[in-house]
Amino acid sequence: MAKKSKSRTVAVRLISMAMTGYFRTMIRPRTHRPLSMLKYDPVVKKQVLFLEATKGGRNK
Amino acid sequence: MATPATSLASKLPPRLLSFFARYPPQIYSAAVTPKSEPQSTPTSTATSSTTPLPDTSSAIDAATGASTLPSPYTPNRDAGGHKRPDPTAFSPSKALLATNPEHPNPFLPRKNFRTGKWIGPRVGLRVQAELVKLAAKYDVEELLPAGRKSTEYKETRRAERGLAIKGTGIGQKVKGHKWERTMETRLDDRRKAMMEMPEAIRLWKQRGHGRGWKKWPKR
Repeated sequence: MAKKSKSRTVAVRLISMAMTGYFRTMIRPRTHRPLSMLKYDPVVKKQVLFLEATKGGRNK
Repeated sequence: MATPATSLASKLPPRLLSFFARYPPQIYSAAVTPKSEPQSTPTSTATSSTTPLPDTSSAIDAATGASTLPSPYTPNRDAGGHKRPDPTAFSPSKALLATNPEHPNPFLPRKNFRTGKWIGPRVGLRVQAELVKLAAKYDVEELLPAGRKSTEYKETRRAERGLAIKGTGIGQKVKGHKWERTMETRLDDRRKAMMEMPEAIRLWKQRGHGRGWKKWPKR
């Protein structure tokens, strides 16, 4: 039986770099580079840097 | 001629004046009411359970009949376990609520010993509180009868209760919730991160909005 193929996209977690524990979940193509963006963090009430969290510590 | 009393009376509001007319301070005020004192006779010490060593003293009393002291492991079928503190025991706050039997304190309930029933205070707690606040405003609180709403009673009571609250003593602390214990370090981390945030954003923009970024956070 053929191995089940992986989906084209992955759900990733973007963690606030303000160390508040706030995060956003996004969907990106599996082959895309890791996501990073400036977004609003409601805990510190400011726009801060959000970086994608690696699951196994592997990011290209 | 205006004596201090009449000049004071001219200043007081009618509510306090009517109260003092009904319950004259020279009879009813807390200053003239005799305060109850802790009895220091040895018999009362043995019966009172708030004394430091009530069980030992009673045990010794019981043992005086027998020639030897009882073994601590002697099973006692009549032992009732831990004794609750005596509700009628002396305490400084209760001593403040003394009443003169000839002139019953209007702020305190009293017992009719013939019928065994309790008679509520002449002045209810709500009105008591209002009177105490009013008297404190005009600086004549010591003229009111002793009651549960008086500043002195509340302070004494707080001093007593303060000793009973866990973690309030010197050198004591309570464990608390985990979020309370870790709050300080978490807030420190956040503060540090927010201090470095403009620099991090500048670097991120410089490195092609994440294209050359190497330090990704771990989940």
